Amino acid sequence: MGTSLPDAPATIPEALARAARDYAGRGIGIFDNRGREVERKTYRELLDLANRNAARFATLGVGAREPVLVSLPTSWSWMESWFGVLLCGGWPVAMAAPGGMAAAEAQLHKVDQVMDRLGARRIVATDAFREQARAAGYPWAEDGVLTPEGLSAIAPQAGFRPRSAEPGAIAFLQLTSGSTGLPRAVMIPHSAAVHNPLASSEAIGAPHGAPAHAWADCMVAWLPMYHDMGLIGCLMLPMLTGLDVWLLRPTTFLARPRLWLEHLGGHGVSFAPAPNFAYQLCVERVSAGELEGVDLSGWRAALTGAETVRPETTSAFCDAFTRIGFAREAFMPCYGLAEGPLAVTFDMKREGVRTLPAPAGADSGLGLADVVCTGAPIRDTRVRISAPDGSDRADGRIGEVWVHGPGVFAGYFNDPEATADALRDGWLATGDLGFLHDGELYLTGRVKEVLIVRGQNLMPDELERLADSVTGGGGLTRSAAFSVARGVEGEEAVMVVEVADGQPEGLADLEQEIRVRVGRGLSLPLADVVFVRRGRIPRTTSGKMQRNELRRRYLDGELERIDR
Amino acid sequence: MSLRDVALEVLAKVSGVERERISPEMDLVANLGLDSAKALQLLVELEERLGLEIEEDDAAGLNTVGDIFAFLDRAASAR
Repeated sequence: MGTSLPDAPATIPEALARAARDYAGRGIGIFDNRGREVERKTYRELLDLANRNAARFATLGVGAREPVLVSLPTSWSWMESWFGVLLCGGWPVAMAAPGGMAAAEAQLHKVDQVMDRLGARRIVATDAFREQARAAGYPWAEDGVLTPEGLSAIAPQAGFRPRSAEPGAIAFLQLTSGSTGLPRAVMIPHSAAVHNPLASSEAIGAPHGAPAHAWADCMVAWLPMYHDMGLIGCLMLPMLTGLDVWLLRPTTFLARPRLWLEHLGGHGVSFAPAPNFAYQLCVERVSAGELEGVDLSGWRAALTGAETVRPETTSAFCDAFTRIGFAREAFMPCYGLAEGPLAVTFDMKREGVRTLPAPAGADSGLGLADVVCTGAPIRDTRVRISAPDGSDRADGRIGEVWVHGPGVFAGYFNDPEATADALRDGWLATGDLGFLHDGELYLTGRVKEVLIVRGQNLMPDELERLADSVTGGGGLTRSAAFSVARGVEGEEAVMVVEVADGQPEGLADLEQEIRVRVGRGLSLPLADVVFVRRGRIPRTTSGKMQRNELRRRYLDGELERIDR
Repeated sequence: MSLRDVALEVLAKVSGVERERISPEMDLVANLGLDSAKALQLLVELEERLGLEIEEDDAAGLNTVGDIFAFLDRAASAR
């Protein structure tokens, strides 16, 4: 794939080596759980730690292209492990660490599924995780779980040399939601992981006349490393461009969103990405008064992407924080996806958030009235809008967003069918719906049925299986889940449940059971539970549920609810 | 003010559900609508109001309002 970037390293190991050599003193600061203490190390130190751990993985016999899961919170242990696997020639696979009040069983089950799907034998995780896995009787718990402490006790292989890599070779796997709720592993080549952040820095800097790394000192981020916006946007990008990055744990941000803004105001000229819900959370939970002495005028680019950008949110954020220096035009909507491997377009006009009314007669999918401009493609990258028959849509006409360029992924690991669906003649069919206007992309909805609720991607199947386990459905009666976006809350989950004829009694209890089961399984409150008669969930002639059509009927009030 | 009163006050604030309508058998996610961000906010506010330090891991498995009451009782007696 052609790329026109000058002086780009060819692979991630080269990029890390360059950061260690050329960006002296620059590095990564990682805050503790409470966001109080920071442990900062330079890229030079990261390279040394990663090399040492790579030699330990070599001692353990981790082979080339062996997937190794890394399920730790954002920490130096994460960094050493992820880069260690990569320098050893294996494929690191970042995965959410269990924690908080979320159900540990659900996370263990997911890890088990991923290990099975990838044929993986090892996971780097905490001691507590190993104990839970043991107690639950998972076969890999005994020998497959490596703790950071255990790793550090292993002797590095003598004379170990990091494996060299071809630019086109797979560097790592990134998990994303699959159609049945089972995660899919996106194969990211070195070339894509290097090109995307560099081209992004250029696009982020475009309104200021120079790439972001030419005028910024740092990034301040809290995005999880198992998310493309965290891994590519907040780790690869600063490493490739020689910026400092300050990382908070995701849970630290969710618990105390104020800390993100405080640090953004405290480390020089900065930029930072986040999904819409994070800006909303700041509006709801932080007042400018609490940020006494914090100056946000150095925050030059507030990137917003990874879920639907809500103009109500960005506008409320400006109302709340311009008084402490936040610049309205700092907001920069963007679009991308893990298969991309992160960024595709950025709004480079520096006019703040721009919207167009959703085109008349359009199926706007999520029920949006205004659609946000997410900007133009990054360097070497093209976007087209495809009609269902594969032909080009004219300007302003809605179709599926297709992407072409050096960032496009190499396929899903061990899933040729899904790969063939997504990759067509070198183009990535994204499953997102939108239109182009004057060369800029506007997103209107999705062909794919994923729900993106507060930054978390969920497949309907994950919710429906939990609901069906309550109702005993799944056969003649079924449940169907989808999301709607009605207000500043962003997308919310709705569950429609079919029930057999003439049984309205007991529905209140059933609803409670469903809410509890879904709530505990996925930490997800349901915005609405709708009971309908059997057969009211639309299906194709082959029996496939049409959730997007169901959503339209729900939003248009055409769904006949059974009162309870 | 008792531990429970404080807990109810914080639960009402974080969930937006009126304090009088909150009862021990209610589920935090299903009935009070606490997603993971709100659950973490709950812990932070409880810490601040009660002067406790709550480790996230200790909070695993808290599902209902009653679980929160019991947890706070344990935390207070351990102090």
